[in-house]
Amino acid sequence: MSHHLFLLSPSDTPLYNLTHYSSKPAQPTSTSPLASNLPSWSTSAFAGTLTALSGATSATQAHHVQGGTVRIGGGQDRHVIQMIANASLDVIEEVVRKESIMYLKSVDKFNEWTVSAFVTPGNMKFVLLHEARNDDGIKTFFNEVWELYVKTMLNPFHTAHTPIRSPVFDARVRASAKKYL
Amino acid sequence: MSYAQPHPRFSVLSSSSLASAEHLSTASSTRFSLSSAPSINTATGAPAKSPAQRPSIYDRPLNKARAAEVSASAFAFLFSEVVQYTQKRVSGINDLERRLNTLGYRVGTRVLELMTWRNEASSKAPKREIRFLPALMSIHTQLWRAVFGRPADAIEKSVENADECASALLQRAQPMILPADPAPDMIIDNDPPITRHISVPRDMSQLSCSSFTAGVVEAVLDGLGFPARVTAHNTPTDQYPARTTILIKLEKSVLDREEALKM
Repeated sequence: MSHHLFLLSPSDTPLYNLTHYSSKPAQPTSTSPLASNLPSWSTSAFAGTLTALSGATSATQAHHVQGGTVRIGGGQDRHVIQMIANASLDVIEEVVRKESIMYLKSVDKFNEWTVSAFVTPGNMKFVLLHEARNDDGIKTFFNEVWELYVKTMLNPFHTAHTPIRSPVFDARVRASAKKYL
Repeated sequence: MSYAQPHPRFSVLSSSSLASAEHLSTASSTRFSLSSAPSINTATGAPAKSPAQRPSIYDRPLNKARAAEVSASAFAFLFSEVVQYTQKRVSGINDLERRLNTLGYRVGTRVLELMTWRNEASSKAPKREIRFLPALMSIHTQLWRAVFGRPADAIEKSVENADECASALLQRAQPMILPADPAPDMIIDNDPPITRHISVPRDMSQLSCSSFTAGVVEAVLDGLGFPARVTAHNTPTDQYPARTTILIKLEKSVLDREEALKM
């Protein structure tokens, strides 16, 4: 089971991202019928993207038909993950105007992915893609990331658009991801 | 490096030292507290360590440490140097005010995050301000308390029949103000601590060094999603010769949104 974290600046520039593989067991998987029916040319360079995206149609169908969860092999595809995270920004943008809570749980869903977000007062967005529900853990995780981010921000060499490259920051975020996700 | 470097002229001014000097303790209004800012080695910190083992910024707590305060005189000295440094490099009063505003902006973005973290991190569901009036109130009380150690003196909305002082002020700030424009909001401080030791020469009487504060306010409003133009003006009265007004002119999109949210 994997988690994907993105830190986005107020102008939506990605400043940091992290992929975390949890040791917790993944949910039972079933292959989507569409994914298995992909034509042979899908072994091309775009195969992963295609497979992952094909999950979209099959997942919605599956939800209508049996309501079961559908997982497909291409779920780990990097581009698709980034696209899902970026797409969820629209929803987040809409919600932050109405909700004063910083932790927005499950703002968006795409295939097997649930998107949770955390918006700091300075309009930094932390976006997390996850598969299982884990509200309390994610909340604590976001709070720790927020503290680390505030510390980063107090550094005079950090501006709102500087990518965060500090190895200590990375290690700390990884540690709390391990602990809470 | 791909990120935007601050203007080289500004680089001498570590905004961290400014930021940290700005986080005032609530304990007293004349002492400026030093936060756990990364670049400053406080003498009163942990037991002396060799430079090699200097703890990283991520090891330091963000909470306010009572011992780590810096005196108002030290800050006054720093701010006077800031003003002098800036003044040597500008061509006019407007330019000087703009530069001070920019410096304040850098401080403000940090103050906003740090202040909210200190207030909200321990609560169950941390909140942001999403409506303008509560945000303005929190600037008036919380921001002023975090930066200057006491709340500001007043919030006013200049209405059509405002006192002469305010309308004269508006004339100067907005020479081409349209009648349809909504009245700007004003935060009033009777004796701003940062300009307490500054005496502006007569030929520069329009200058208000509180532009720095205006920059802080602008950054906070911007961060919270209320883009605005914030300026500082001297509005002396007999009782308070140093009285300063921070004028907030919101962008139209914000006003429209507020109107929509009202329903």
